[in-house]
Amino acid sequence: MKLTQACKLLALLLLLGGIVHHSDAAPAPDLEDQTRAISAELRCVVCQNLSVADSPSEMAQQMRAIVREQVQAGKSPDQIKDFFVSKYGEWVLLKPRTTGFSALLWILPYVVLVLGVLAALWLVHRWTLKKNTVQPSSAPALLAGETRAELLQGEIEEVDLEDTSARAQLLREHARLRGELAELDFDFQSEKLSESDYTALKQEIAAKGVNIVNRLAATPAEPPKTATQAKKRDVPSSARPQFRRWQIVAGGVFLLVFGLALGVMLTRSVRERDSEGGTITGDFMTGSTPPAARAALAEGKQAFSKQDFPKAIEAFKKVLADDPNNPEAHTYMGYILIQAGHGDGALMAFDKALSQAPNFPMALWGKGMVLYQDKKDYAGARQVLEQLLSLIPAGEERNEVIKVLATIPTTGGATTPSAAPEKGSASPSSSAQISGKITIDAKLKGSIDPNAALFIIARPATGGGGPPLAVKKIDRPTFPVDYTLSQENVMMQGTPFTGKINLTVRLDKDGNPVTRTPGDMTGEYKKNPVEVGTKNVDVVIDQATE
Amino acid sequence: MPIRRVIITLLIIGPLLALLAYGFTRDSHYIVSPLLAKPATPFTLALYDGRKLSLDNLRGKAVFLNFWASWCVPCREEARELEAAWQNIKETNMIFVGVAVQDTDQNALEFLKEFKITYPNGKDETAKIAVDYGTWGIPESFFIDPQGRITYKHVGAIRAALVVSKLAEAAKGIVSAQEGKGDYSAVK
Repeated sequence: MKLTQACKLLALLLLLGGIVHHSDAAPAPDLEDQTRAISAELRCVVCQNLSVADSPSEMAQQMRAIVREQVQAGKSPDQIKDFFVSKYGEWVLLKPRTTGFSALLWILPYVVLVLGVLAALWLVHRWTLKKNTVQPSSAPALLAGETRAELLQGEIEEVDLEDTSARAQLLREHARLRGELAELDFDFQSEKLSESDYTALKQEIAAKGVNIVNRLAATPAEPPKTATQAKKRDVPSSARPQFRRWQIVAGGVFLLVFGLALGVMLTRSVRERDSEGGTITGDFMTGSTPPAARAALAEGKQAFSKQDFPKAIEAFKKVLADDPNNPEAHTYMGYILIQAGHGDGALMAFDKALSQAPNFPMALWGKGMVLYQDKKDYAGARQVLEQLLSLIPAGEERNEVIKVLATIPTTGGATTPSAAPEKGSASPSSSAQISGKITIDAKLKGSIDPNAALFIIARPATGGGGPPLAVKKIDRPTFPVDYTLSQENVMMQGTPFTGKINLTVRLDKDGNPVTRTPGDMTGEYKKNPVEVGTKNVDVVIDQATE
Repeated sequence: MPIRRVIITLLIIGPLLALLAYGFTRDSHYIVSPLLAKPATPFTLALYDGRKLSLDNLRGKAVFLNFWASWCVPCREEARELEAAWQNIKETNMIFVGVAVQDTDQNALEFLKEFKITYPNGKDETAKIAVDYGTWGIPESFFIDPQGRITYKHVGAIRAALVVSKLAEAAKGIVSAQEGKGDYSAVK
């Protein structure tokens, strides 16, 4: 009867499966639908977690075009998927195949589930057998009835683990023998033991048991020392699992080691991806930067961007203590040294960075600018900046390097002082400044904090993060404020105040532009980005932080 | 009995931990190519000098096929190296072919001019050639033996010395056991 029902259920499932399969295989109504359906099963090689259908990347668009073309050519979905698999491997399929090695991905979870359930059932069965040691056994009656009854059915006194008296030891031995006997019965029932082995082993245990029972009878029982001991005595031993001491200790040690290993592994390795191509472990286990150095590097960069140079120096020193060749840390130290006016030290720092990473753009830029503006080594500066130029693709940054290169005299080393940075291209001049007026919106006028500081901030229009190009601070401003931003307000000494910038202003309540305090007010130039040299760059403060 | 249980526990947990550790070390973006030792897909490339180049016509020569873009920094890093390598081997029975992907004509031509590239270069406007070669990170370089079989693949910037040695291996039909890897940019 049960079999018939199972057959019916199977037939129903097959029928449903057939319907589903049939609906899958049905031709899509039009070309775009078919293209989308196939693309949805392919992984985008750029985004990787998106399908080719969903990814906005250029590569995905091109892959969709190829899919569309192949659909038009009359290829089946499987043929098209096979084509991409032949180029990128099985990886390209968002849904692994149910054949070959990939089938394991589908089957393995079910196998593990079934094995888990079987293991649980087996354990439960075994524990039940252990507890119920008086179960009728199919084993032959090998022991004298009295001994067997004494050994197996006799009530055992509960014994304190710390009790070291002779009686307690005998009781523990008694309990152990009961356990062994139960296991022996179980093994025999499971046909793991031959009858002759079973007989021999059981007789051996029985002999020991008789000895223990006799010795127990000769040892007087002592009254329980504590209430807890008395309470324990009331509980039948079979109601509680009987773990041996080594099992408890081994389990504890294992859990401790496993927990520590997992905790250490995860905290040391998992982190935010630092780039599009990065992994959640970065270079942990595979790379060079030690984890402590990585954390200190991030801390240093953050401090540097906030211009907290003492903190940044401390952090970069930590990085270099852990990873003496870290090019980024050397480079940032170089920039801090420029800021402090130590050109020689900066040059050494950049050289150290470049000895590890010869094409590190930040270090090349720093070295080039030191050679140009501090050392007046024009030939050297030109060489370094030309190397940098070869690495930068077309764009604003490249144009900046070209502009600086154009200002370097071609006559080499000891050139005229007029080419010095203070008076050269990067020097302040009437054209290398931005000026205008800052006003405040009428609705915010009543909320101005009399002790607030006004920050006028210029950031390169190319973006890219990092510190602003130039900042001017005006304490307790009276609006409207006339301002001029020029080379002297540049944050990084040696950086030319040129090109397009984004201008923003901030009226900061606590005078710290990094913190965001309720009541801070901001505004930006409405026609950002603006070219350095522009006049009448007027800004209205019209936003308030809540 | 206790030792047996400990061993069984370790046998179950050990592989799981090893799998976890292996997962942590992998670059999740890296795609292992199935193309090594397979025939190179034929293509016809529209060169920037107006001519056409067909891979089929290069049969009998060892080919160095390089996918690049002017916006890709590692491509710029290797550009001079590649031209230097080309200057060394251009008189031999080996040839370099450059394929610009996801680039504009103007930028690609400026790139070729800037690095004084003299070997044949063309554009893959529809990315068909790039997909045929399973490209995902550029620069990507393929070495093809005279019989038209891919012998080596390198993802990322490559040094001139490696180009020359792998091309010599390709000329002899020696297939490398695995791919090479350097700094790369993901395609856009």
